[in-house]
Amino acid sequence: MPLDPLTGVIRWQDVIDILLNTYILFRLYVLFRGSQVMRVMAGLAFLYVFQRVATEVGLIVTSWAMQGIIAAAALIIVIVFRNEIRSVLQAQNLRAILWGVPGKTAATPVDILTESVKELASRRTGALIILPGREDLKDLMQGGVEWQGLLSREMLLSIFYNGNPVHDGAVVIEGRRVTRVGTILPLSQRQDLPQRFGTRHRAALGLAQNSDAMVIVVSEETGKIVLAKGQEIIDIHDIQVLGHHLRRHLGIVPEPGKGFKRETVKLSAAALICLVCMTGIWFSFTRGIETLTAMQVPVKFTNRAAGLEIFDTSASMVHLYLSGAGALVKNMGPDQVKVSVNLSRADPGKNTFNLSSSNVALPPGIRLNRIEPAVLSVTLDKLAAKNLPVQVNWAGRAPDDMRITQASVSPGTIRLVGASRQLEAIDTIYTERVDIGKLSASGKLTTRLLLKQPTLRVADGADDRIEVSYVMKKREAKKS
Amino acid sequence: MDMKIIFRCHIKGWLCLLGPVALLLAAGALYAPAMADDDTSAQSGLQQLKLERAVVCEGIEDLKPINPAITFSIERGSIMCFTRFAAVASETYILHRWYRRDELVSEKKLALKPPRWSTYSSMQLRESDKGPWRVNIVASDETVLTILRFSVTE
Repeated sequence: MPLDPLTGVIRWQDVIDILLNTYILFRLYVLFRGSQVMRVMAGLAFLYVFQRVATEVGLIVTSWAMQGIIAAAALIIVIVFRNEIRSVLQAQNLRAILWGVPGKTAATPVDILTESVKELASRRTGALIILPGREDLKDLMQGGVEWQGLLSREMLLSIFYNGNPVHDGAVVIEGRRVTRVGTILPLSQRQDLPQRFGTRHRAALGLAQNSDAMVIVVSEETGKIVLAKGQEIIDIHDIQVLGHHLRRHLGIVPEPGKGFKRETVKLSAAALICLVCMTGIWFSFTRGIETLTAMQVPVKFTNRAAGLEIFDTSASMVHLYLSGAGALVKNMGPDQVKVSVNLSRADPGKNTFNLSSSNVALPPGIRLNRIEPAVLSVTLDKLAAKNLPVQVNWAGRAPDDMRITQASVSPGTIRLVGASRQLEAIDTIYTERVDIGKLSASGKLTTRLLLKQPTLRVADGADDRIEVSYVMKKREAKKS
Repeated sequence: MDMKIIFRCHIKGWLCLLGPVALLLAAGALYAPAMADDDTSAQSGLQQLKLERAVVCEGIEDLKPINPAITFSIERGSIMCFTRFAAVASETYILHRWYRRDELVSEKKLALKPPRWSTYSSMQLRESDKGPWRVNIVASDETVLTILRFSVTE
């Protein structure tokens, strides 16, 4: 149903507008869910709501401060979460970014992992195993050796074997592969850790609390298994529990049918929330308080016929009186409003155009109320050249007994360029006023041409100075 | 604005005519180079009309222009355009077209009769007439014989 947002009706463009932005919001959720970006985004959304409430209530400083923080939010997000954004964009192809649901297909063989950890614990072989989440860990890890080995129980046991040069570092498991070994992790500075936790535990927590990775620690001294995730440290007494945590972290569900259904429900709920949010945002933009504004916009003349020049316009700028929702009017930039006049049917001479909404390009949701001036005249003409004689424009008052009897000018003719119609209308080009009151005897002087029509100019940029030679004589008295 | 046409033909027979005509032609030939302002050498090819002298002046006395000039004070009240033709083959006319800047203010049709003729037109000046003027002297076939340029000043 074709409806206008300003008249209370929703158009098909508005439906597309809402759905498109809903999908963008939904994709951002899918790509960044589980990472700290989503938490910060939620925080910013809360700040926005808080700022609106503060504005409504009249908390001036609070509203101002919130507005500043939100304005800088885009920059803050890009700087603080550059690693997360990079990992999402680098790890996914375009199709995955636009359509896919990442992180659920490359399943790590949890059984192999749990069996290996169990074996390591029973042998009291110290181990540090990293299972990355969505965030990029490159800036947090140091050193190590690139591995890319297919995960197996034997491989893990051999990596952490005491005689192995890389056994002291951490291994990184991504999907089915051990991608890195012997990696050094940042140590946690927390003071509340139990005494039994050594360097290996601090390293595990140091990474976990600075990322969304999960880290498995096998104590060399006690053979106990500990999981570190975020700020949390979980003692593992049962290997089944370890498997459960790993599956949860890796997004692997034990019963595919049920898990898929649960995931679908979760994504559908997220999509619905995105739709509700975006509809709310759309309505807040388009159904805000009606605001009036006036803009002065330059007129653009288009499709001028070849050979014709614009020599005069009644106005080069017009005033537009616009209205629309406050948010739309406030966010409207000068480059979004354009006024153009199509000269394709204009003829040489004066052409008159009635300006209407068809001459004005406005952003969606903005309405044109009035244009001033509503009528625009444009004078078009062909460019022509003409040789014109020069005449001195004598002025002032000569001494009573004197008269100028002769004068010659150099150059005697000047070539002018301009609109052919204007050139046709003139036969002489005059100089500036030359005051004869200052002259007392024959002589020479220099003056300049006075071009009254702005469209005319001296051809080839020639000099407009004119040299005048004149003869003064005494006046003869009349016979009475 | 008024217009007067003066003609005075000195015909007293062949003998009387030859002497003065020769003298006038000689005088005209000597005078012409000094009158750079009035282009008196122009001729109407169709009618063998020879313009001997053309000036804008303050007045006419005894068929002679008084104080020819190219600037005239508005206080003079009127100015005149004097033209003298040395050779008029047959009865014809000329036009004095008065322009203020490029706007035609007045066009005066003046008769010419053989063999020689002098004539003039005048222009009453008003306060708004200050500025550059010109008078186009035009033959009956629209040939511009000369253009006289001058200014009306304070």
